[in-house]
Amino acid sequence: MKIALFVPCYVDQFYPNVGIATLQLLEKLGVEVDFPMEQTCCGQPMANTGFEKDSIPVYNHFVKTFTGYDYIVTPSGSCAYHVKKHYNIIEQTTAVKEVRSKTIELVSFITDVLKVKELPVTFPYKVGLHVSCHGQRGLKNATASEITPDHDGLVLSLLKNIKGIDLTVLNRNDECCGFGGSFCVSEEAVSAKMGIDRVNDHVKNGTQVLTGADMSCLMHLEGIVRREKLAMKVMHIAEILNGNKV
Amino acid sequence: MSHSKKASIFNKDIERTTWHDETLWFVRQKRDKMAYVIPEFQQLRDLASQIKEHTLSQLDEYLLEFERNALKNGVHVHWAADAKEHNEIVLKILKKHKAKKIVKSKSMLTEECHLNPFLQQHAIKVVDTDLGERIIQLRDEAPSHIVLPAIHLKKEDVGETFHQHLNTPKGEKDPQRLTEAARQHLREKFVQADAALTGVNFAIAETGSVVVCTNEGNADLGVNLAKVHIACMGFEKIIPRFNDLSVFTRLLARSATGQPITTYTSHFTKPRPGAEMHVVIVDNGRTQQLGREDFYNSLKCIRCGACMNTCPVYRRSGGHSYNFTVPGPIGSILSPNLDLKKHSSLPFASTLCGSCTEVCPVKIDIHVQLYKWRQQIGESNALPMSKKLSMKVMSKVLASSKLFSFSGKMGRTMIKWLPYSMTHNKSVNPWAKARELPEVPEHSFREWYKQNK
Amino acid sequence: MSAKEKIISAIKQNKPGAKELPVIPVFNAEENTIETFKQSVKTIGGEVIELASLAEIDVWLEKKFSTAENIVSAIVSSSVTISESSSTELLEKTDVAILQGEWGVAENGAIWLPEQNMLNRALPFITQHLMLVLNIENIVTNMHVAYENISSGAYGVFIAGPSKTADIEQSLVIGAHGARSLTVVLLKRAC
Repeated sequence: MKIALFVPCYVDQFYPNVGIATLQLLEKLGVEVDFPMEQTCCGQPMANTGFEKDSIPVYNHFVKTFTGYDYIVTPSGSCAYHVKKHYNIIEQTTAVKEVRSKTIELVSFITDVLKVKELPVTFPYKVGLHVSCHGQRGLKNATASEITPDHDGLVLSLLKNIKGIDLTVLNRNDECCGFGGSFCVSEEAVSAKMGIDRVNDHVKNGTQVLTGADMSCLMHLEGIVRREKLAMKVMHIAEILNGNKV
Repeated sequence: MSHSKKASIFNKDIERTTWHDETLWFVRQKRDKMAYVIPEFQQLRDLASQIKEHTLSQLDEYLLEFERNALKNGVHVHWAADAKEHNEIVLKILKKHKAKKIVKSKSMLTEECHLNPFLQQHAIKVVDTDLGERIIQLRDEAPSHIVLPAIHLKKEDVGETFHQHLNTPKGEKDPQRLTEAARQHLREKFVQADAALTGVNFAIAETGSVVVCTNEGNADLGVNLAKVHIACMGFEKIIPRFNDLSVFTRLLARSATGQPITTYTSHFTKPRPGAEMHVVIVDNGRTQQLGREDFYNSLKCIRCGACMNTCPVYRRSGGHSYNFTVPGPIGSILSPNLDLKKHSSLPFASTLCGSCTEVCPVKIDIHVQLYKWRQQIGESNALPMSKKLSMKVMSKVLASSKLFSFSGKMGRTMIKWLPYSMTHNKSVNPWAKARELPEVPEHSFREWYKQNK
Repeated sequence: MSAKEKIISAIKQNKPGAKELPVIPVFNAEENTIETFKQSVKTIGGEVIELASLAEIDVWLEKKFSTAENIVSAIVSSSVTISESSSTELLEKTDVAILQGEWGVAENGAIWLPEQNMLNRALPFITQHLMLVLNIENIVTNMHVAYENISSGAYGVFIAGPSKTADIEQSLVIGAHGARSLTVVLLKRAC
């Protein structure tokens, strides 16, 4: 299997440890991973701002960079969703179609492709999962609370099987964190309030480590956790699954 | 003023914002419970969506069928191309009957057409009889929600308003006693009314009936005591068959307020002897929306308000921040159809979390349409040039790994070496008002990869 | 061009391509329809009493509405006569209206009340208290079955519980503009 790792632009620049954890985790699972150096970004920032057409060169660059792999794995539900959903505005060549269908979020890759249900790590903390909207409602990696009272999903299924872990039950299982790309600055007041409310839900229910499969949500929540000087630690799911220390 | 500006003003009162959010979240939770108990709930959403999609695809035929049957029933049918025509038609009917005192049950269409101020200019007194609508009418405010028009107000606010207008004791804030005061006050209005106006939840082509749903009984009380009933509807309210109501009545109240059904689901088909019934069918921009491939299915909307209750942005910015008759996610995809520039901030008043789409009982892909309106706005001249240019630059940078690596390094270096007071300056960097910037790492991932692999 | 012609021609031009009208399937019936119905009525703020025959209603009326002066009904003895031509002044004085409901719906507690059972269209709403009599065999599982059984008529209403509002801070208040209470009188099967 020929696997490419796609490390989203902001993860590359600000959270190299998440990229490293993803890479190490995949290697531990016996996957040979290639990191194409030409990669940049999925193009979402411009598209969400209303400039989808300006994203086209970025889309084409992405396709060119990642053509020929069996899977393009990324530790971001949001970026994977963008490639799958929004690369419909460029000509649908075989390469484009293949890249769209083969781009996959890290946890789905582990559970659905590698069929791994359990990882040999111990994590004796109270862990609060932030379910990202693009992962849940976009990629359907979990069922939304609008549909069912049962909390399910791929990320939760992996976390449940970790030794020593205690999962936080939140008052609101899957409310948006308020990051929303450019929303986080253009609608600063609402964005911040949403983030604060999410963090408070975790505080009230005892979360020690806040995690999720989307670093963009976590970047926003971490910004609040650090501003409020809370004892909570924010880690990407890849870091926990890779056995990183808190 | 843009949504974000109004929302930031709303958020200045943190306690009230939290209260507003929690109050509406409570409604969303009630809705969830009512959805979970019906095993076929998702199937009903599919059916409702399909019925509406079908109706829109033969809308002209169904409207004409409705008219034929309504006429047979002795109902007068009127057509209005826009708000002005609608208001004039209503006025003409009222004048013919020398009607001076009108009671009106909830109708978002008449809000959309600004009927109340128009009638008042012609010396006709309109009293809104839905309790929430009456409260905001007395306060001279617009509804902040389509189902819960006074949801932005606390009981103390209502108490003060009723003290001023209905002579309730100063400081009275008990909802039970305030509602009783309104009941007494409005009974008098019902009894005296010359005509009753209602909205329409569903119009049935097959029978020529209109169906109105209320919890208070105000529509029936008004219509059944007055000599004239005028029902005003946007043309998308039409459904083909009487039996289709079985699907919609199972979905509407469950989605809206988390009730199994509204208290009153009233089917008006023929006027009672000696009384008159009129139906006004209104376009007001709807045919234009119908012609928009990406947006026409917003016309499936049955005005349940579920997308508002679930929207984390609506809950934390209040209905008035949208500055449009229909606030919240659905309003943000309806309003740009009418005035793209005026409402250009609304499609951006969303994180695109998609919860609106998941609760919508007629499966309108609201968040997908929000994204598509953003593109239309981006391509129009509704956004500042500076934004357009910065996107072009960003595109150049992100399409080249060299430029990307270079500017990434520059950015990180700048954050690192600039003083905290500058990187976290709240007037320059909105991110930093409530959040810390990420801690800047020594190396980017790609730099690490080059060194270690 | 009239507004109607303008609208119809614009719709013709702009409407999307044909989509099929779905058949509404029969959804599975509840197992215990009568119990579900009773529970539903309670949930929406109504009260259920079960009687063997209508003759028993007087005892109950005496107990519950002993001070009521104007009791209006077409099916039990009535203290006032109300018709479609009754004045608003007279209607306003109604304390209790006792009317025959046609169908009860288990999933939501709604009862179908057609115009011909109302005496006056305003009566079910202007009365202070409403009692709806329902034959127990006329309880159906859900709205689909209910709509199969009824026709539009001139006017008809599904009534589900007493008049209510939550417009002040989402606090539920019973008795907005319509009836302050709803009592459902279930008549057991005649043997």
